[in-house]
Amino acid sequence: MMDVNRIAQLARIEVGEKDIQKLEKQMQDILLMVEDLPQIDEQENFLDEKNPMTLRKDEIRPSLKRDLLLQNAPKAIAGCIVVPKVVD
Amino acid sequence: MALYEKTAAELSKLIHSKECSAVDITNSIFERIEQTEDKVGAYLTLQAEKALIQAEQVDKKIENGESVSRLAGIPIGIKDNIITKGLLTTAGSKMLHNFVPPYDATVMNKIHDNDMVVIGKLNMDEFAMGSSTETSYFKKTHNPHDLTRVPGGSSGGSAAAVAAGSAVVALGSDTGGSIRQPSALCGVYGLKPTYGTVSRYGLIAFASSLDQIGPMGRCTEDVAMLYDVIKGHDIMEATSIKREYINFAENLKGDVKGLRIGIPKEFFTEGIDAEVRDCVMAEIEKFKNCGAEIVEVSLPSTKYGLSDYYIIACAEASSNLSRFDGVRYGYRTEKFDNILDLYTKTRSEGFGEEVKRRILLGTFVLSAEFYDAHYKRAKLLQNKIQNEFKSVFEKCDVLMTPTSPSVAFKLGEKVDDPLKMYAADALTVTTNIAGVPALSVPCGKNDAGLPIGLQIIGPKFSEEVLFKVSEYYEKNIGTAAKIADVK
Repeated sequence: MMDVNRIAQLARIEVGEKDIQKLEKQMQDILLMVEDLPQIDEQENFLDEKNPMTLRKDEIRPSLKRDLLLQNAPKAIAGCIVVPKVVD
Repeated sequence: MALYEKTAAELSKLIHSKECSAVDITNSIFERIEQTEDKVGAYLTLQAEKALIQAEQVDKKIENGESVSRLAGIPIGIKDNIITKGLLTTAGSKMLHNFVPPYDATVMNKIHDNDMVVIGKLNMDEFAMGSSTETSYFKKTHNPHDLTRVPGGSSGGSAAAVAAGSAVVALGSDTGGSIRQPSALCGVYGLKPTYGTVSRYGLIAFASSLDQIGPMGRCTEDVAMLYDVIKGHDIMEATSIKREYINFAENLKGDVKGLRIGIPKEFFTEGIDAEVRDCVMAEIEKFKNCGAEIVEVSLPSTKYGLSDYYIIACAEASSNLSRFDGVRYGYRTEKFDNILDLYTKTRSEGFGEEVKRRILLGTFVLSAEFYDAHYKRAKLLQNKIQNEFKSVFEKCDVLMTPTSPSVAFKLGEKVDDPLKMYAADALTVTTNIAGVPALSVPCGKNDAGLPIGLQIIGPKFSEEVLFKVSEYYEKNIGTAAKIADVK
């Protein structure tokens, strides 16, 4: 059984009082659908050995300019993104 | 025939032989947009001025005798979850309603390198979560074949634009069927490539282990040409595969004599509408008459496909979408007391219902006490599904199935019932789980004139075979897609 309020808190999502019942019902239905997975006794092997993931070399390459990146910030002052105070 | 009705392959010839200019083509597309866009609603953002400048540049290059790509001057629409430098990119969400990317996705660099003309950004389900394009925060898109019906989703804008003639080709993305299902519902061709063959750098992530960008068009050759442009290794993306490719568009000719077509019985069960099943089976029979061999095969775990998909996709989505917190870009709530309040209010106001449901499901299946029972089990099942596909492809060369269990449904019909909506992906999700390629090909219409799609699935890296089979079908059995009337 899913405690929607607790999961919502973990996901940093607020669920209004009037929506909670509808959402609980929908989540319950979805869970019933996904809970039928069979138990599988196989070794975990999630990697495609023939096509391994590759990281690029750790080397200096051109990066985006700060001004350009900050154009999308909701609030920026003096080259920094403004957020509420985090430590007292 | 107006220019907007022609395929990219036809237009390319006209441009190269100077029978028409790229500017003529772009103008024709914008005229078509003027005629249809009010009714179809495929686009979220249009850029007429910039598109015309791009087209003029192509014409200049041709005039100067410079060599240009086959797709130079061809108008393309881009799904709005693909990052486009300087061009609003929303992923269909209020969360990104004002996001103008400072860089281009790798596929966009390739589109520009090939001098394609970018018409605009196409509507989609919010963060690609949906099967009807109805979860878009901004607007509904209508199926050009019947305006009271959905275009499918999540790449519904892409499929609708190609079907209506308001784009010649388009890019979509496919996490569980989001290119193929709308392609089927709108009667166009759409490829979900082998995972790792097209860079995801600059694709706004939904479920990274399943997401794949792919081409959509009105004939096999157009889809192959666009795939030729976007495929290939990219150092910016760790799952991108290093490998040699042929030019697919130049290798389309083939025969189906001796081709072993697998019919997975689990894809023809009672959940599939009879009209779809009968139409697809009748088309498969025609392959048999052309010398192909039909083999009945089984993929027993198909029945768990949807469950497996929703656990894996939502788990990854809950992690990927944690970046949307109102701090660095996108929507930020107006009133907040502290940083947690800022995160929570921003996310609650910025995400739509379906996205919230999926984030909650993902958070749940990843939570400590449920991880083993859900996520771990789903990943083990993914392995099993991959192995089933591998062994099936020892018995046949390709699989043929319907793409979607039904033709396009009515707008609003499934929007309040998530489970009914999820079922629309039942025939497409397992190929994403297995990482194999699949192509949806228009294969007929029902009595009401609504398109039906045939899905051709192959083993990893078998795009060449898929294109050849599709081309054979298009030229010898079926037809290229015609522009919808949009009435």
